[in-house]
Amino acid sequence: MRNKRDYHLEAPTWCPGCGIFALFDALKTTAAAMDLDPEHMVVVTGIGCHGRLSNYFKAYGFHGLHGRVLPVAAGIKLSNPGLQVLGVSGDGDAYSIGLSHFIHALRKNINLTYLVVDNRVYALTLGQTSPTSSLGFVSKSTPYGSKEVPLDGIRMALAAGGTFLARGFSGQSSRLASLIERGMKHKGFALIEVLSPCVTQNKLYSYEWYKENVYLLEDDSSYDPRDRNHAWERLNAGGKIPVGLIYEESRPSYEELVLPKKEKPLVFNDLKIDMPKFENYLQKFR
Amino acid sequence: MINDVSVLIAGKAGDGVLFTGNVLAKILKRSGWEVATYRDFPSNIRGEPTNYSIRASLKRIYGRADKENILMAFDCESILKHRKRIAPGGVVFCDGQDVAGLAPRKGEKITFHKFPLRKLAKENFGHEIFKNIIALGPLTYILNLDFSIIKEVISETFLEKKGKEIVRKNIKALFLGMKEAKKVIRSEECHTLPKRKNGARLLLSGDEAIALGALAGGCRFFAAYPICPATEIWQWLAIHLPRYNGLVIQTEDELAAVNMALGASYAGARAMTSTSGPGASLMMEGFSLSGMAEIPLVVAHVQRTGPSTGIPTKTEQGDLNQWLYGSHGEFPRIILAPGTIEECFEFSVKAFNLAEKYQCPVILLTEQDYAQNLRTVKMFDLSKIKIERGKLLSQPELLRIKDFKRYEFTADGVSPRAIPSLKNGIHMVEGNEHDEKGYRNEDPENRIKMMKKRMRKLKKASQELIPPKIWGKKEAEIGIIGVGSTLGPIREAMDQLEKKGIHSKFLQIRTLWPFAHRAVKRFLEKSREVFVVENNFTGQLSNLIQSQVESGVRLKHINKYSGRAFRPKEISTPIQKAV
Repeated sequence: MRNKRDYHLEAPTWCPGCGIFALFDALKTTAAAMDLDPEHMVVVTGIGCHGRLSNYFKAYGFHGLHGRVLPVAAGIKLSNPGLQVLGVSGDGDAYSIGLSHFIHALRKNINLTYLVVDNRVYALTLGQTSPTSSLGFVSKSTPYGSKEVPLDGIRMALAAGGTFLARGFSGQSSRLASLIERGMKHKGFALIEVLSPCVTQNKLYSYEWYKENVYLLEDDSSYDPRDRNHAWERLNAGGKIPVGLIYEESRPSYEELVLPKKEKPLVFNDLKIDMPKFENYLQKFR
Repeated sequence: MINDVSVLIAGKAGDGVLFTGNVLAKILKRSGWEVATYRDFPSNIRGEPTNYSIRASLKRIYGRADKENILMAFDCESILKHRKRIAPGGVVFCDGQDVAGLAPRKGEKITFHKFPLRKLAKENFGHEIFKNIIALGPLTYILNLDFSIIKEVISETFLEKKGKEIVRKNIKALFLGMKEAKKVIRSEECHTLPKRKNGARLLLSGDEAIALGALAGGCRFFAAYPICPATEIWQWLAIHLPRYNGLVIQTEDELAAVNMALGASYAGARAMTSTSGPGASLMMEGFSLSGMAEIPLVVAHVQRTGPSTGIPTKTEQGDLNQWLYGSHGEFPRIILAPGTIEECFEFSVKAFNLAEKYQCPVILLTEQDYAQNLRTVKMFDLSKIKIERGKLLSQPELLRIKDFKRYEFTADGVSPRAIPSLKNGIHMVEGNEHDEKGYRNEDPENRIKMMKKRMRKLKKASQELIPPKIWGKKEAEIGIIGVGSTLGPIREAMDQLEKKGIHSKFLQIRTLWPFAHRAVKRFLEKSREVFVVENNFTGQLSNLIQSQVESGVRLKHINKYSGRAFRPKEISTPIQKAV
């Protein structure tokens, strides 16, 4: 049985108090609880403060381009479905520059776990408005206040055909860990948005603000996360932000539909081609 | 004696010009002749003028002829449009109401026949669609083609998808076309080529050859976004890769396509994407990641007329610079440029080996001209196919390594590679500058060493790349340089020059990068005059040569950028005038 230390490669250098620490901790907790083999895990990160996570977490790591986490993660997962593939993005990465990949990954329902660390600001570039910043948000890019309404990633994901939609909060690390665990066990695309305060670039959305403005869905026994209408209602209600498992459904994953069963993952195929069979194809051009 | 004949089929998009032409091309090929087709289609589905040229010859041909010998026009407008391209002794068939313009003009040695294709189709078969097979009647009759071969091809065309009854009806329609043709065609109008054996040859397009090469070369993951004129690569792989436990996936855009291919390649699959100019622009960022993170990548880029969306269904060589200099930062890249269908296949196989051996992006740069047109080729030599995976480590090899470093500083710059799921292989793949283990590192000394390591990979690669090929007489003083599809018209232009007593030689560039500067320099030094032939405006190949080779020879330019391939005379005439 592995423990958290088995996934700890290096001490992170995020700003003290950064919400991503809680995610890092929750990830290690989840991996240990599930006894995952680090050599069978791949963590794909985008560009932003979250991107360093793959440098600190012990597993195979891929730190690519801004917004391109999901296509890379999909390529890995489809080539070797035996791997536990995690994508990690920020709000800019997922909901702005990588938005089309987000929508289409949900449609495809590829068996990935996608963690979107939402701090409502572009922090690594020292403080610009992000797609989740509120209307009127004052930052270096919008000194007179943002004129755009914020985007709700989970509401969008529900419309796009998401099969596992959850929201966690960095102020509640153990709850976050259990959401991640459920997401990893989900057969299909699991989105876990993490409300994650940026203590340096975003004074507006502090831990205190979130504590006052979130509520736990699990406290409401009448809420059924398998009921799409319930989910719509909550996401459209406005006011306080629901945290927990918002929606879940069973739908065949993309791999189940496109990859031949029982065969080896395609990365372990013998690439030498069966010549008589190949020559037979060539006959079509005779 | 006739040894070369070109048939032009013209009409409007939606008339079935492509269908009629492809069936004719196959019949000609089965009759033992060399075949090259050339399509000049509008970028829409119905209504605009379109034409398709099917050329047959006794010698190897790689492109279209200077003139057309036979025109099958589905409407009268087509005749007005193409009559100046018809050779003396040519024959025109026209299905049109307005036949007033059909009389030969003064000095025009062409025979015109009114041929009511639609009327015959409707009256005898109740549907206009049969006009396409009826049209093959006069064409096969005038070419004096063997009926058993025609029947065989028509049966193959319809049997699998439409059944016996449709085959029977179509053969009846063909008979009708031939019978009607017999009534009007005089024996002196016939263009008969001597019969040859079919032999071990294939008839296929460059796109199909690239797809076949990819499959044979071990490609098992293909991600792309639809774009003309590259989609045929995908369409073929979409059917066949799943049969080899491979995967073809349609992505939301080219950004996703290239990144998904990178993800698959990192995981250990041989991965590819295909595109054309606009899609390639979107792939530039991923191209750079491939270079920095040293992930093998193969991109098949079929050039079309640019800039912007340009003319999507037409040819050009306008994207050389895009891959030579494209994307941000400096990183090693390999650009292969096949000139024939055989090379499309061979280079496609080779691209995957090079990508893995040098852990860098490899671009297969082709053009609409031969990518979407058919050519006869000798049966591919499958015995040459080798899968070389470079420094990709197996599990036992990896276990023997004490301290695995994915980006280890090595003499040749190529580092050992491990794929996820292997024991003892945990590492980072980084788009940021990194240390030997892949972890982010901004130290200046490390940066310099990493840059040198990546860039020195090409030094070794350049020793095993595909060298330029010299065609013609090595001692000739007139030199021609070209790349890709211009090979066909250049070689025919050389024959035309030879007949005028002008000896020439042709240097076919086959690897654009790393550039074969020594071979090119030698060629320049041994030529009195050198013409660079290019399907573009600014002379991208010529500029590349001038930036890479110092020589006293001043390059002359022959450029065409109408969106159409060269005809041989468009090359031989300016050379003849200049020397």
